[in-house]
Amino acid sequence: MASRWANDEADKVEELRRKKDKEEKKRLKLQKQQEAEAAALATQETESRPAKRRRLSTGEDDDQEVPKPNEPEADRKLIRFEAGTWSPCRHVSHFETLNQIEEGSYGWVSRARDTTTNQVVALKKVKMDYAQDGFPITALREIQILQRSHHPNIVSLQEILSGDDPQECVLVMEFLEHDLKTLQEDMSEPFMASEVKTLLRQLVQGVQYLHTNSIMHRDLKTSNILLNNRGQLKLADFGMARYTPPPNAPLTQLVVTLWYRSPELLLGTRDYSTEVDMWSVGCIFGELILKEPILSGKNEVDQLSLIFSLCGLPSEKTWPAFYRLPNARSLKLPRDPQHKTPGFNRARFPFLTASGIDLLSALLSLNPENRPSATDVLSHPYFGEQPKPKPAQMFPTFPSKAGQERRRKRSPNAPKRGDEVQGVKNVDFSSIFAAREEGEKGAGFMLKMA
Amino acid sequence: MRPSPLANPLATVAHLETSASQLDSIPPDLEDSIRFAGASLTQAAGVLLRLPQEVIAQGIVLFQRFYLGPPGGSLTEYGAEQVSAASLYLTAKLSAYPKSARSVVNVYAYLSNLPTSFYDAESLQKRGLEKEYFVSEGTYERRRSTLFTTEQVILRTLGFNTHVQLPYTLCITYLQALDTFSHPRAPELAKRAIAYLNTALLSPQCLYLTHQPSALATAAIYLAAREVGIKMPECEWWEVFDTDREMLGFLCVGMLSLEGWVSEEKGRWAGRSVPVSVEGVAEEMRRRKEETGLDDDMQRAVNG
Repeated sequence: MASRWANDEADKVEELRRKKDKEEKKRLKLQKQQEAEAAALATQETESRPAKRRRLSTGEDDDQEVPKPNEPEADRKLIRFEAGTWSPCRHVSHFETLNQIEEGSYGWVSRARDTTTNQVVALKKVKMDYAQDGFPITALREIQILQRSHHPNIVSLQEILSGDDPQECVLVMEFLEHDLKTLQEDMSEPFMASEVKTLLRQLVQGVQYLHTNSIMHRDLKTSNILLNNRGQLKLADFGMARYTPPPNAPLTQLVVTLWYRSPELLLGTRDYSTEVDMWSVGCIFGELILKEPILSGKNEVDQLSLIFSLCGLPSEKTWPAFYRLPNARSLKLPRDPQHKTPGFNRARFPFLTASGIDLLSALLSLNPENRPSATDVLSHPYFGEQPKPKPAQMFPTFPSKAGQERRRKRSPNAPKRGDEVQGVKNVDFSSIFAAREEGEKGAGFMLKMA
Repeated sequence: MRPSPLANPLATVAHLETSASQLDSIPPDLEDSIRFAGASLTQAAGVLLRLPQEVIAQGIVLFQRFYLGPPGGSLTEYGAEQVSAASLYLTAKLSAYPKSARSVVNVYAYLSNLPTSFYDAESLQKRGLEKEYFVSEGTYERRRSTLFTTEQVILRTLGFNTHVQLPYTLCITYLQALDTFSHPRAPELAKRAIAYLNTALLSPQCLYLTHQPSALATAAIYLAAREVGIKMPECEWWEVFDTDREMLGFLCVGMLSLEGWVSEEKGRWAGRSVPVSVEGVAEEMRRRKEETGLDDDMQRAVNG
């Protein structure tokens, strides 16, 4: 006996019919589409302009409207760019302050909790200085730049709050446990070579993102670099940052905290660019290795002399534009034709490999044109050689001290807008290499784990 | 989703449904008139301050965003003139061409002395009597502090979202992409397209708040090409620029209808200026009430 489920004649007929139906439908659809397209073309030629929905005026040229035939929605997918919408600032009372973290020249930072989501964030209250120009431009630039910057190595701005006082303005940012400066102060040993590489690479990636988006940070320093317990590094404090202006617009030379300020800024240039950030990156690189700031000058003159004693003196060959800088003429540099001017003082970094020294000395080139860009740095062989950068996940964790009381070493703040330019007056640098002789002898022998 | 830097934050349905001014019983037609007058005031002030059109356009967009929706500003609380001045001051400050508070106050004092709300190039060129628009030190202090507080209010109302992307450069790029610059009358085409973009900026429909720059640029090119008589591709070329036919049509009507609307407005406000201050708005409301009161009386008289 044949199975009950076997195909019989009737089934076959039924299937054939279905197939036919399908084909017919397809054909009809195609025909309809072609007709619609033809109609669309025709209307396009005759119609005065595309269909309209709402009119504001009864101007006479509105009257020649041709009714639009029903045509099928084109199934081409158009790209839509979205940027959300806007809504008023929320009130600070949505957050509960947990503890104060720091007070700086820019304002107060505290750790707080969103009472609705329980998320822990950092609140940064901007100091308002209304006397001159209304809402401070530095805060506006910081907000504008942070709103547009989305990068794993740049701190993210979540929203802006308003307070009872109409002048109050609070930035809500993601909370990170450490800043590099206080972290290094609390550590007994400097970072290991592999850790320095991870940190430097993340730092330069953040800087690269900024520079490719025409943003100068202008205040890179260890206290502005945050680190979380998962080994992620993020740039913060964009109070000095700005977009690269149109060419030849004079920029203020009062930028970058003294210890991280490049020689051309110290010498009073008003026409600088992203190279000033790369100098700061060099200073931070050195600081990560030595666990202390490498160029901690007391004032601008002292800063310059520290720079020259570390990096050597500028010459007509290495930095042709040097003598055209505003403050360069007042400097008296030692010029000894018999004595070759010493170059970069590598004796200060006895544990750095040759390629490490090469990268550091390139970042700390006196001539801004010789400094590598962030992209150049990322492809430097220093990152390729042993020890390899430590994966961020493997990074050691440290007790977070954000909020606890502790003694701080004094370090200079970023220059204030509107301050008087101190400038570098007549100075004699003749004897800055006197101490170099002893240093050259080497730092003895030490074992160090990578 | 991460917001695209190429796009603008747009008005939502809730924004467009009603506004703080309407909730304060300002009639929508008066709101439209003031919206247009405020935008043209910003444009005129920007020209007198010698600001680039990009900065002026950003100022106008912030001005329009401020009054939108129930959480926005109300005309009974913030006059269009002070908001216009603060928007322009704010955008100029963020641009590479900052202007001093003194310059802004001076320019607005000069403009408020002109007898009309419908500015043209000629009337802006005219030099009036300096005496009439001189701002004394005391007045300046007062206006400057208003400027600063209004700036703060704008920032808070917009949630510090000052990002404004404009269609001007996009428009030129599209014209290049359409390969129109080989045409002998291409400069005319480009000029007309830019002119349409400037027109759309003043529209009381707030086209810049409801449509992305790509759609605005495409509609401007469509209209300009029709007007100048330069042939565009036979296909639906606007879809290449992410604009569908519906949107294109809507924007074209919006842009074209402004001229007729403005000439009607001119007739309606003949001999007086559109109120751009809180007091002016209150007075206009009183006047309208009296008029309708009179109408009601007459109606009653007729009926009675």
